[in-house]
Amino acid sequence: MTERAAAGEASATATLPRVTVSFASDQAEYAPGDMLETSYRVAAIDPATITTVERSVVWYTEGKGEEDFGVVFFDRLLAGSSDAMSDEPTASAAVDWPSGSFSIRLPSSPLSYEGLIVKIRWCIRVRLFFSSGRDFVSEHVFFLGDIPVARPLRHAVS
Amino acid sequence: MRLPIFFSKKRGERRTGSPAWGSFGEGFFYASLLTAGLFVGGLMLTGVAVPEWRINNHFTEVEGRLVGKGLARRTTTDLFGIRRQSWRPAVLLEFHADGESVRAWHTSGWGEATTDRSLALRQLDGWRLGQSIRCWYDPERIETVVLKRGYSWWLWLLTLLLPGALVVFGATGLAQAASAWGRSEERQAAEIGQLLSPLVRSSPDEEGFPTVPACADLMNSPGTIQRFRLPTESPEAWSLLGAGLFALLWNAVVIVLAVAAGFDLAGGRTDWWLFGLLAPFGLIGLAAIGLFLRRLLLATAIGPTHLEISDHPLRPGGTYGVHLSQGGAVSFRRLELVLELEEQATFRQGTDVRTEKQVVWRELMCCWDRLEPVPGRPFEATLQFKVPARAMHSFRSLHNAVGWRLVLRGIPDRWPAFLRVFPLVIVPAGPDAAAAVVRQPLREVVS
Repeated sequence: MTERAAAGEASATATLPRVTVSFASDQAEYAPGDMLETSYRVAAIDPATITTVERSVVWYTEGKGEEDFGVVFFDRLLAGSSDAMSDEPTASAAVDWPSGSFSIRLPSSPLSYEGLIVKIRWCIRVRLFFSSGRDFVSEHVFFLGDIPVARPLRHAVS
Repeated sequence: MRLPIFFSKKRGERRTGSPAWGSFGEGFFYASLLTAGLFVGGLMLTGVAVPEWRINNHFTEVEGRLVGKGLARRTTTDLFGIRRQSWRPAVLLEFHADGESVRAWHTSGWGEATTDRSLALRQLDGWRLGQSIRCWYDPERIETVVLKRGYSWWLWLLTLLLPGALVVFGATGLAQAASAWGRSEERQAAEIGQLLSPLVRSSPDEEGFPTVPACADLMNSPGTIQRFRLPTESPEAWSLLGAGLFALLWNAVVIVLAVAAGFDLAGGRTDWWLFGLLAPFGLIGLAAIGLFLRRLLLATAIGPTHLEISDHPLRPGGTYGVHLSQGGAVSFRRLELVLELEEQATFRQGTDVRTEKQVVWRELMCCWDRLEPVPGRPFEATLQFKVPARAMHSFRSLHNAVGWRLVLRGIPDRWPAFLRVFPLVIVPAGPDAAAAVVRQPLREVVS
């Protein structure tokens, strides 16, 4: 978060928000179909300045091409409300505002992939919306599947 | 006072920004386009389309008489202060409207004004004083009279197309920006996904494998030896089509030029510029035909390649049988069958959209040296191959793809080398296969 943004948001605390995410697996590696159980903690910010928390599990591409991305879980929690706009039946929300936890069953694809010009990454995003209209997003990468890293071809088939 | 930040900034794993300001900027851009479209559309409608429509629907037909003719002069001064004059033919018409005799000048209907006064005078020669003329006058302004009715379709098309495109582009963009107002990209994607999910139906084989491309088109042709015959993607077929189209279009231009030159010759004129242009154009046209015929000969001489596979879609760690059949009467120095993994990325570079492809993994399955054709029989071979246990599955999103394919590479004796590509779809390993995965480097588990 830039200093300019922080100055307005965290005037009460004069600190930056800090989001930490803990995975059930130490290496943050999962197999397709596994349950992703995670909890996140929002610290160093006055909870009263946060109006909404969005939690999502997304995959996105990196590399030479334009970025593509997909959402497999999305959840929106409003301040002062216990209702969550969840689009995922396997998701559960245990809210300790603005921190919380959720769990979802991961899909079969796409698997995390470290290619040469195409890379696929999975991450958990926690996005905080502040009363001023600005937002702050924290991204935490994990791995789905066990695909080896692609390496440049040494020689062509003769 | 705190100034707004229009673009988000990414700092490692954190990103901050103002979606509201971002949406506002986007909305402002599209609103400007919409406004410009409406403004230009309004101008064209009121200035061109509506007057023409009124002439055809509201003007009153009357029999008039030509009582005078002359030139309407227009003087303009350009940026350097030089004055220029242009002339337009004008006729004075007399007709009866609402019981009274009216005289009105008419200047339109002869095209653009000309700076050549004598030319404008010559255009008046066809008009004879006292002749009867059918004309139409405006009941609301009797002195406005025209000699012709009808619609300029190109003008209407321009009126609709140019501002219409701006209005459609601006309105859709504005609607999109309005729907994105204050919404994160995750929320938008989730909402779009919910909207589209009832519309997108995948086949039972692809069920549960998001982003894995459909393989129904690869499974609709039964094989004779193996279960499915794979469709081919031959780069040579596209170059043949391209060479054919180029030869056709280029020679069409040459024929048009040749016909024009022929008419000139028949009329006793010789346009040396045209003949000078025709000679190199004709040579390029002949070369294009030659190139097309050579490629056609290459495609037909080498003969068709058929590849059949025992199952589809494939799974990591699975073993599959393939049957290769190569027709034609050409002897090969070498023929090799290769399994490849190719990445494909589409990106913008300036105003161009480019696609880059890179093969990131390749395994030679089998190769044959010194193959001589047997008359009446294609070359045939059946073999097995194993998909690497930790192979990446096929993947396709809007701008990125990871695809598997079998490639037949041939080096004929007296012809250039050729490629025949057979796309494959590999779905992610199931729970059983995943359990059997041994953590080894990819190359070592390939048989």
